Amino acid sequence: MSPAEPTPSPPGPSVLVVDDHPMWRDAVERDLVAAGCEVLGTASDGAMAVRVAAAVRPDVVVMDLQLPHQSGVEATREIITAGPKTRVLVLSASGEQSDVLEAVKAGATGYLVKSASAAELVDAVRRTAAGEATFTSGLAGLLLGEYRRLAAGPETESGPQLSERETEVLRLVAKGLTAKQVATRLVLSHRTVQNHLQNAMQKLQVHNRAGLVRYAIESGLDED
Amino acid sequence: MSGLDSSLWRAVSVFRWLTVIYVATVNLVDLDNVEHPLTSLLLTAGMVTWTVISTVAYATAELRKWPLLATDLTIAAAMILATRLVEPAERIAQGEPTFPQMWVAAALLAWAVRWQRRGGVAAAAVLSVADLANRAAISAETVKGVVLLWFVGYVAGYVAGLARRAEAAFQEAVRIQAATQERERLSRRIHDGVLQVLALVQRRGAELGGDAAELGRLAGEQEHALRGLVATSPDGVLPGGQMDLRDLLGTSRDASHVHLSAPAEPVLMDQHQANELAAAVAEAVHNVRRHVAADADAWVLVEEEGDDVIVTVRDDGPGIAPGRLEQAAEQGRLRDLGGSATVTSIPGQGTEVELRVPR
Repeated sequence: MSPAEPTPSPPGPSVLVVDDHPMWRDAVERDLVAAGCEVLGTASDGAMAVRVAAAVRPDVVVMDLQLPHQSGVEATREIITAGPKTRVLVLSASGEQSDVLEAVKAGATGYLVKSASAAELVDAVRRTAAGEATFTSGLAGLLLGEYRRLAAGPETESGPQLSERETEVLRLVAKGLTAKQVATRLVLSHRTVQNHLQNAMQKLQVHNRAGLVRYAIESGLDED
Repeated sequence: MSGLDSSLWRAVSVFRWLTVIYVATVNLVDLDNVEHPLTSLLLTAGMVTWTVISTVAYATAELRKWPLLATDLTIAAAMILATRLVEPAERIAQGEPTFPQMWVAAALLAWAVRWQRRGGVAAAAVLSVADLANRAAISAETVKGVVLLWFVGYVAGYVAGLARRAEAAFQEAVRIQAATQERERLSRRIHDGVLQVLALVQRRGAELGGDAAELGRLAGEQEHALRGLVATSPDGVLPGGQMDLRDLLGTSRDASHVHLSAPAEPVLMDQHQANELAAAVAEAVHNVRRHVAADADAWVLVEEEGDDVIVTVRDDGPGIAPGRLEQAAEQGRLRDLGGSATVTSIPGQGTEVELRVPR
């Protein structure tokens, strides 16, 4: 092992950076490249992101939500539909709450505010590429609220529901505990906590997709 | 001008056509019983002709001015006076209807639409004078007709005025709404840009260290404060005295180090309840500052559980809380609302204050 050059960890994930702000695009790209990620491209609006993602098939798309032409939520939906292996990490400045929730429902598996440090961003990109869910306390609060809203709504039986354990985990994350702290508190493994969080996200995504399919079928049948 | 205006004028023309069809039919059927059938025919033809001309004229916005309206009313009055050319004087005195009957009301409606109440009443006055001038004696029927004419003139004028004001108010509301939306769109864009730059400065500052780190920290605080303002709408009292608790917590929290988690949908509460609960949360956050550190992080989670609203304030302090059980102020506030406060502390894992209020 040569001391001059730290051994690079296994080749980093390939990334597409989507942001309409050139300075941000450059900063994110620089941080990711410095950390050993392979940045396959950048895009400045939603439509371009969809095209580039289809062409380069990145592991992770780092997605800003406030984009011209086509919103980040729409782009997320299209990218996930076209390439289900690609994962989307939302990196948003304004914390537009309903936007973030919509992006998660559209298939994003992580959310980070732009005030997060470079190290946090790199860590989040690696975790997202590995299939883990990246949570903030704010996102956990949004998900809890959404499940309660669905439970109170008309389609209680068909709608997705959180298990008791998932609710417990989500509440702790919403109160600012890290996944590690949650694992300690509930005497669970880190992996189990991650699974609960991913399930909480996926159930909403599946419900959302099922809702879209149902809607498409219904409107299709109405036309005949 | 507006769609409403053309509709009113069209309605007058429709009325004119319906009445001319009715009056012409009645007069033609009655042709054998009148003294001068030829005059009756000519006058009927005149009524139909003016109906055609006026329909075309009133359809043109530029022509709806006093010359047209004066001509219209003059013709209506002349038609009333012409009754004596068709009917013998004694039958007119007995209260026989005038020759053009309710057809003249079209001119009256036109005046009411153009000059509202004043126009309607003025036209009614002119037509009454014409009617009364015909009659040697005044019967109860005649009086009834005249009163009705004044009444219709006044009411039609009033309604036309009301409709115009309503439409003006509606257009003003639409204009204000459009302006507000545009302003919100602009402020979102501007805020987004400012937030992006502030977050970037914070990030680069932290990387560079030294004085830059201090600048970055300041930028971060401003970013946090601005994000709180953008995400919420202050003084948002909704109809029915309800408030969105998220708005209150969003604006009252100190700029940084307070992390709010809440549903995407509004958390609606009675205004008084919302204010008291927000005050209790502020106290809990203040306690975190006092007992843990001045810049300690605090997490605020807002949840709805059935009819209850639960707000949890958590800190990452040492977790042992000497003197932290003096949450009397919070508990007092909440007891008044029928709620409760629970304090949980786990050594090494911080302290949680759970505030629960039934709606």
